[in-house]
Amino acid sequence: MCHRVVRFGVVVACLTLVFGVRLAGADETCNSPYIAKLIKGQEDYVYVWTLGVEGVGDGFDKLVTIDVNPKSKTYGKVLEAVAVGTRSEAHHMGFTDDRRFIWAGGLAESKIYVFDIATDPAKPKLVRTIADMGDKTGYLGPHTYYALPGRMLVQALSNTKDKGGVTGMAVYNNNGTYIASYAMPTNNGGDGYGYDLAVNPKKNVLLTSSFTGYTNYMRPLGDLVKDTEAMKRFGNTMVMWDFKAMKPKKVFSVPGAPLEIRWSLKAGDNWAVTAAALTSKIWLIKPDSSGEWQAKEVATIGDPAKIPLPVDISITRDGRGLWVNTFMDGTTRYFDLSNPAAPKQTYEKVTGKQVNMISQSWDGKRVYITSSLLANWDKGGSDNEQFLRGFAWDGKELKQVFEVDFTKEQLGRAHHMKLGSKSLRSS
Amino acid sequence: MLLTWLACAAPALAHQAAPLPALDFEPPAPGTYTLHRIMTAPDGEVLGVDGRAQQLSRFTRKRITLLGFIYTTCVDPEGCPLAYRVFDALKQSIGARSALRDQVQLVTLSFDPARDTPAVMQRYAGSRVKEDGSGVRWYFLTTRSARELMPLVEGFGQDVRRTVDRSSGQPRRELSHVLKVFLIDRAGFVREIYSSTFLHPQTVLNDIETLRLER
Repeated sequence: MCHRVVRFGVVVACLTLVFGVRLAGADETCNSPYIAKLIKGQEDYVYVWTLGVEGVGDGFDKLVTIDVNPKSKTYGKVLEAVAVGTRSEAHHMGFTDDRRFIWAGGLAESKIYVFDIATDPAKPKLVRTIADMGDKTGYLGPHTYYALPGRMLVQALSNTKDKGGVTGMAVYNNNGTYIASYAMPTNNGGDGYGYDLAVNPKKNVLLTSSFTGYTNYMRPLGDLVKDTEAMKRFGNTMVMWDFKAMKPKKVFSVPGAPLEIRWSLKAGDNWAVTAAALTSKIWLIKPDSSGEWQAKEVATIGDPAKIPLPVDISITRDGRGLWVNTFMDGTTRYFDLSNPAAPKQTYEKVTGKQVNMISQSWDGKRVYITSSLLANWDKGGSDNEQFLRGFAWDGKELKQVFEVDFTKEQLGRAHHMKLGSKSLRSS
Repeated sequence: MLLTWLACAAPALAHQAAPLPALDFEPPAPGTYTLHRIMTAPDGEVLGVDGRAQQLSRFTRKRITLLGFIYTTCVDPEGCPLAYRVFDALKQSIGARSALRDQVQLVTLSFDPARDTPAVMQRYAGSRVKEDGSGVRWYFLTTRSARELMPLVEGFGQDVRRTVDRSSGQPRRELSHVLKVFLIDRAGFVREIYSSTFLHPQTVLNDIETLRLER
């Protein structure tokens, strides 16, 4: 049986039959193109959206601020932890377009927490809770928070009716007032599932990916992988939208839960990549010679038979490299994307017993990694490391430079990261 | 993304620039999509180029309004000058369309009241402040003070920060902002917000047509 302590090995075996999963993020090179004030020098803080754990500290989900400036006296230390008073599977977060606020949410509910990070970037404050998404849209589990001018586009994972994977997107203005919602397509090949989203403004296209619903992601992984029917309820599509009109234009078949989406930031580039968690493949989304958008499998991550489970990717600012974290084997891989149609792995290193999110600084010299995937999917026993680890990257080797042990610090499970700077303090 | 910096006291040359690049996609046709109500446009007292105080709503209601914040010394080519170029192009396009020219107005509002007095705004506007027969109204506005300006800035969600530049060794107050342009319907609701990444006359014109077709 797949109970917690022995879960890792058993889960790998179980997953051989099916796939895997992950939940994603973003970093300084992976923010919405509408976000101002990218930090192109040394970042001062890493904000970590952290899942509460019963019996660990106050047990609540919280936003943790960590000093990551090597010149600081408190380098590598926890500066602040702002609890939200609930434990609801804290997962992802995103900046507003003016980078004054972080929106964050949990997958077990439909609430969104808004933190002010401009008044004092070292000490975020919870200033608003948006609680009407479920009532307004019927969507559950807000996942991706994508800044638009004056608004936030929120991609959900599930719905309040049957808690399955059919879901949609909601738009709020920056004051937290609901504006509109858009269902993921269930026709023309669409499965209705959602996960990540990313906009290419120059081409007026929005690209979305697909994962699974509450009934799957809140279920203990050991049980889930033994349920053949449940394992069929994962996304196998990506959707290209007319962004201005917010209408689906084309559904791509991308088997195995395509997750994070990263557009190349290099001027003149016109392509995006994603990683399919269950099949361990990298996919390229790019127009063909006739200008028609196509999705194509272009690389394999590790040995798919061993279910490495790619859970997060981070693209370099020049679009020439891609970091990939695989949860099950705790490995961080680097792919050369010089030819995005044929990525080549050039480096790998085990960076933890379980690793999830990976974020990099704008210059690519600093890489941050966290450990938690989902409360019920994280490994058990001594494999359940919970951390933020900072690494230096010289183009050849990842060298760990600090670690914050989230269990020792009584914080919880470390998940999504965003970078902060003293210079972004409002005046 | 753009941060525009208010340098010492550059002259108001914002509207001299190269032609705008062509749009790199075929936008959806006007009326085939919905522009939702994002928020209510804020109101407050502003000054025209004649120095007369009026409510901003006097310039943002009854017609479809395109409003942008600027400061006249801004020199970032993708900041205020870009907005000015787009406004200029739209004035020409709208002026050539009889169905639109009396239904649209342009508003340029300074967020640097300390420097941008009504007289400075008059010089910045040049001949554009006057109706030239095309019928497209273009208002150049400022405020008496930061105290009167800030509710408008905050109400629109236009981030403005004052910082100190120590690179020269001399602390100097600087002003930074992210370019945003607001499309406001006749009832005073903001219906679209453009940043530099997708501020283009063609998409704005389509959005204006979309609002016009709502009638």
